[in-house]
Amino acid sequence: MHSEWTSKINAAVSGANAEHVAAEVGDDTIFVASEKILDVCKYLYSAEGMEFNVLQVVTGTDYEDRIEVSYVLASFINNLELILKVKLPKASKDATPELESVCSVWKAANFLERETYDMVGVIFKNHPDLRRLLCPQDWEGWPLRKDYVVQKVYAGMEVNPAHKINTADIYFGEKLKSSAADPKKFSYSWKKPEFYPEGAQTSSTTEGE
Amino acid sequence: MADTNLETKWIGDGADMEKIKSDLLTLNMGPQHPATHGVLRVEIQTDSEIVATARPHLGYLHRCMEKHSENLEWRQVIPYVDRMDYLAAMNMELGYCLAVEKMLGTEVPRRAEYIRVMVSELQRIASHLMFFGVYAIDLGAFSPFLYAFQDREFILRIFEELSGARLLYNYIWLGGVWNDINDDQLRRIETFLDELDEKLHKYHNLVGENHIFVGRTANVGVMNKDYCYQYGGTGAVLRGAGVDWDLRKKRPYGIYEEFDFNVPVGEGTKGTLGDAWDRYWVRVREIWESIKIVRQCLEGIEEGPIMGKVSKVLKVPAGEVYMRTECPRGELGYHLISDGGKTPYRLKVKSSCFTHTSMLVEVAEGQMIADFVATIGSIDIVLGEVDR
Repeated sequence: MHSEWTSKINAAVSGANAEHVAAEVGDDTIFVASEKILDVCKYLYSAEGMEFNVLQVVTGTDYEDRIEVSYVLASFINNLELILKVKLPKASKDATPELESVCSVWKAANFLERETYDMVGVIFKNHPDLRRLLCPQDWEGWPLRKDYVVQKVYAGMEVNPAHKINTADIYFGEKLKSSAADPKKFSYSWKKPEFYPEGAQTSSTTEGE
Repeated sequence: MADTNLETKWIGDGADMEKIKSDLLTLNMGPQHPATHGVLRVEIQTDSEIVATARPHLGYLHRCMEKHSENLEWRQVIPYVDRMDYLAAMNMELGYCLAVEKMLGTEVPRRAEYIRVMVSELQRIASHLMFFGVYAIDLGAFSPFLYAFQDREFILRIFEELSGARLLYNYIWLGGVWNDINDDQLRRIETFLDELDEKLHKYHNLVGENHIFVGRTANVGVMNKDYCYQYGGTGAVLRGAGVDWDLRKKRPYGIYEEFDFNVPVGEGTKGTLGDAWDRYWVRVREIWESIKIVRQCLEGIEEGPIMGKVSKVLKVPAGEVYMRTECPRGELGYHLISDGGKTPYRLKVKSSCFTHTSMLVEVAEGQMIADFVATIGSIDIVLGEVDR
């Protein structure tokens, strides 16, 4: 089904360079050229036999050299589902790549693209109202990038002050570990000591014990 | 924006509009307001009693669930997805487990499948009862809330016996369920369903057919079929608009294809098709359908193991999957990307509450403020799922 769609997209939109990636596990995907995303979406919205009339997801995934933006389309007319993806190369670590907005095709894209902009830092051109959605407007950085570090100060307040970080799990984890039969096999938290800022108590001296 | 038509409607033609032009008043609805179902803040520009524009501001309950899950092992994500829609935690878990199991190719034992369907349908009943009570409160009736909570309490107690928790269960696990259900519990569920089946008629007559309730909900917040498609509305919102769309029928997951039930759709009984009353009526009828499904589960449940074979140190093969399930509030989708490691590389949740919130903007324009409250209540959002 996907390979048929791929050839249809290539035939209808010149320069789309649609490419079918068959998956060993999970779902197949179709990659298209990022410049042609709006044309491809317009085509998929109205093409006979597909008619993807609902946009379910727009999201970005951060990789070292690129950001992949996924569009999950669904057809409630023909009961179909498609994961459409584009690759956006990142020039540098903090670069914010640009992509054409698909708000003119589905109105659902408005909020979804705002969330993607907020979380991954992809700029959507011709978006009617591109502001942050979940974070405050003056937040810094793109939280769902892999190299994201939380800013130290926000609006005059210290973010994650050391004395407010809950270390109870570390304390009880260590306590349990010391009594475990084989301490090497025992794990209690994904938080490594370097996760905590300087000054946070990660030893067994928690107050109120 | 202020529409001059609105003004002439209230002041009359021929008035000197320049002199008596009213200003728009900005009003913040929420984030701390019972009618906003949590911490939704809507910035409303009002022209006297009429909403000129509404702008939802999200993020007051943003707990970075998607970022957290990138640092958690596959199994450890389950308690986090519980906390998205805390009124339908079982359904949240079910979707996530199905998505990971699809990647792993795990076989779930029959008994576990039955228990899964049973708990998620009971959860749907509990969630819809919650809607029933809270929506009545939104519109100024207090006692239906107490009736609904009495019945919801039974379901929460059964879940507490099964999982040890009242709201956030961590009960459905990868490969099966955590704990077995016993015959005594099954029997009690059966008695409860018989009672609820009858009581629900009474509840509906009390609230749904009430003249004031109909006046407040009929022809209010109309969302038609095309509007739903444009914004991606699903669940009771889409079915209320008269579309026969239920994933349990259209794209069955688990063992749902074995069950016999109907999909209630809106018919515009009291007003326009797709109004708030239609959405209410769809949800109430869904409770009866869920009762039907649970009864079939009680009949057909088989003896056997409740946990399939899943390796202890779990690595999911590289690839991606999109899994949709039908939750009480609409479609829930998990877009999961794995790089073959111990943790998800990326987990994106498609939340129906999120899309329904974006649908509010256009509907609100030109509504009375009181009707806007009725509209927010009728789409039944949970802010934990909106902000994640």
